[in-house]
Amino acid sequence: MAELSTRHLMGIKQLTKEDIDLIFNTADNFKEVINRPIKKVPSLRDITIANLFFENSTRTKLSFELAEKRLSADVINFSASASSLSKGETLIDTVNNILAMKVDMVVMRHPNPGAPIFLSKHINANIINAGDGAHEHPTQALLDAYSIREKLGQVAGKKVVIVGDILHSRVALSNIFCLQKLGAKVMVCGPPTLIPKYIETLGVEVSYQLDRALEWADIAMMLRIQLERQGKQNEVKYFPSLREYHNLYGLTLERLERLNSKLVVMHPGPINRGVEISSELADSAYSIILNQVENGVAIRMAALYLLASSEKIED
Amino acid sequence: MNLLIKSAKIIDPQSEHHLKVMDLLINDGKLIEIAPSLSANDQTEVFNAPNLHVSGGWIDLHANFQDPGFEHKEDLKSGIQAAAAGGFTSVCLSAETNPVRDSKAGIEYTLNRAKGAVVDLLPYGAISKNAEGKELAELHDLKVAGACAFFDGKRSIKNPRLLHHALLYCQAFDGLVMNFPFNAALAENGVMNEGTVSTKIGLKGIPELTEELMLARDLYLVEHCGGKMHFATISGSKSIELLKAAKAKGLKVSCDVSAAHLWLTDASLEGFDSRFKVLPPFRSEESRKKLIEAIKDGTINAICSDHLPEDIESKKREIDHAAFGIINLQTAFAAARMATKDDLSIEALVKLFTSGPAEVLGLNPNRIKLEKQANLTLFNPDESFTFEKSKVISKSLNSPFFGQELMGKVYGVINNDQKLLSP
Repeated sequence: MAELSTRHLMGIKQLTKEDIDLIFNTADNFKEVINRPIKKVPSLRDITIANLFFENSTRTKLSFELAEKRLSADVINFSASASSLSKGETLIDTVNNILAMKVDMVVMRHPNPGAPIFLSKHINANIINAGDGAHEHPTQALLDAYSIREKLGQVAGKKVVIVGDILHSRVALSNIFCLQKLGAKVMVCGPPTLIPKYIETLGVEVSYQLDRALEWADIAMMLRIQLERQGKQNEVKYFPSLREYHNLYGLTLERLERLNSKLVVMHPGPINRGVEISSELADSAYSIILNQVENGVAIRMAALYLLASSEKIED
Repeated sequence: MNLLIKSAKIIDPQSEHHLKVMDLLINDGKLIEIAPSLSANDQTEVFNAPNLHVSGGWIDLHANFQDPGFEHKEDLKSGIQAAAAGGFTSVCLSAETNPVRDSKAGIEYTLNRAKGAVVDLLPYGAISKNAEGKELAELHDLKVAGACAFFDGKRSIKNPRLLHHALLYCQAFDGLVMNFPFNAALAENGVMNEGTVSTKIGLKGIPELTEELMLARDLYLVEHCGGKMHFATISGSKSIELLKAAKAKGLKVSCDVSAAHLWLTDASLEGFDSRFKVLPPFRSEESRKKLIEAIKDGTINAICSDHLPEDIESKKREIDHAAFGIINLQTAFAAARMATKDDLSIEALVKLFTSGPAEVLGLNPNRIKLEKQANLTLFNPDESFTFEKSKVISKSLNSPFFGQELMGKVYGVINNDQKLLSP
């Protein structure tokens, strides 16, 4: 059987195009499985997976948990509030706990970039990064590209604009790497304060004008505006108000119709209806948001399955 | 102490023996004879080592010994041993201890504890009380007690009024004001250089602008107030331009660079290894090359270790939470040598460890001179070696250089009628 070139899924950066194709082909099979009346397969029986969520998450956690259960893995969940980890002790202590519990795989979300890499240096389990700060969120990017492939036949040659808070977004970064590896062109669009100064060195185009970006693109990926990342109370914010953000960078049905656009609209969820995207657009035929959610389970099943069967390399 | 140093190439442009291979005879700590071939009597030990070079003892413009307050990370004793192993016979000590060294009691503590040691300690006095950047410390009192200059360390001077007053006030007694230019508000919890690498790995960036903005402000203040000022651990390419222009204008300003910044870049952080988290952050390759240029053209006056020992609890954690800083006393020369081996002669490099920092502090450099107390550094600039954990003398292990090949082995030092040498 074909194998991934890595035993952890830290980021898209570490994957080859062949890895991505393998994950997609495997996900095709699992997507067929989860649409059967009996949705469970025994592939990961006797494998114990710990879901470690050091940051709030509903969807990603549910999606992973569902994927794990459909593969018949034993699942344990751990959540820690952000406040108890502000000093960082929790991670190293958790590491020791996991070691003692003989866990085979770890799915981890953490607010600090590089945290899963830190973990991988101390434990021998396969690790899937479910989002580390503003670094990467590889399964999200994989499911996004997979959804584009499903909707438009292929990813190569497509033009994708990612709109919103690029500065704080692991989804943007993973998508940039993933889409480029698959041969798509990427543009980022948002207020200049939320676009990293050196983003063009990654080979993406930059626009501050949403209309222009939408005219260029085949697909618009709308990012969630996370208010907690826009600065604390009494601090200088990245933009003046949500109202102004929506007026400048919010995607609406009216805007798409005005541009006579055939765009495919995506969103990693959860949606701020009326901020980055209007309700009527989110629920319209332009949107493939719910397909993304369904594909998320298939992609995560594929990643878990492939990593579990990857050979354990002692490092 | 009696010692005969055999066949050492002398590096001292002021000496008639400069660049010659000579024997040096030390009697009771004093250098008494320099000649092509000398022999020792029974009471005199002989030091022999391959490709031996000797220069006046080196001066480090910035190290933190964490004593008092954090003696588990380093203390005066372990710091002195590490400094001597790195070739330094004088070390300027950060005032960022606990309590902050902002009074003559703190100066006296340091000087008394290190009296007669093989390394001379030159303590900084804090510019502001508790290094909080609010009120001036008793600067004159500090100077009289033995403060070599005034420096709040990594706690950059936020308030321009404080710097304005310090620059003026110190002119009454020829005091030197120092600052580490860093605008923390603009750095916004950044952990590494802002650039392609930070963009790629999602770590919060610290733009070079954080340094340039404060440096530009400080230079305006020096122009306005007069006085002299030194800038610690410059890292950015535009900072070099600003300093060059200020010097051309005739302002009495100087600057140093941390040795590690001449060799390492932000690419070192791609593996999220917190040993490479330092302040200022390691910059881009482009900026690193600019620093080497500035070393060559004399814009940078000195190379320092910026030694900052941190314990494992502070370092071994996620990058965002890990402490800034590296230990570098033992590796400063080798890092600088490695970085400049194609660009700089041994003589020019040694200058940045001897007369360069001495001029900054207004001291006479340590020289190779007869009838003087021998204050010497012995080294082999061409030997490559790999730095290992087992070689660390410091109490802390936060070195970015483990496993890396470096160049320039230090044999040790002679100072205050003592020696610390290993061939």
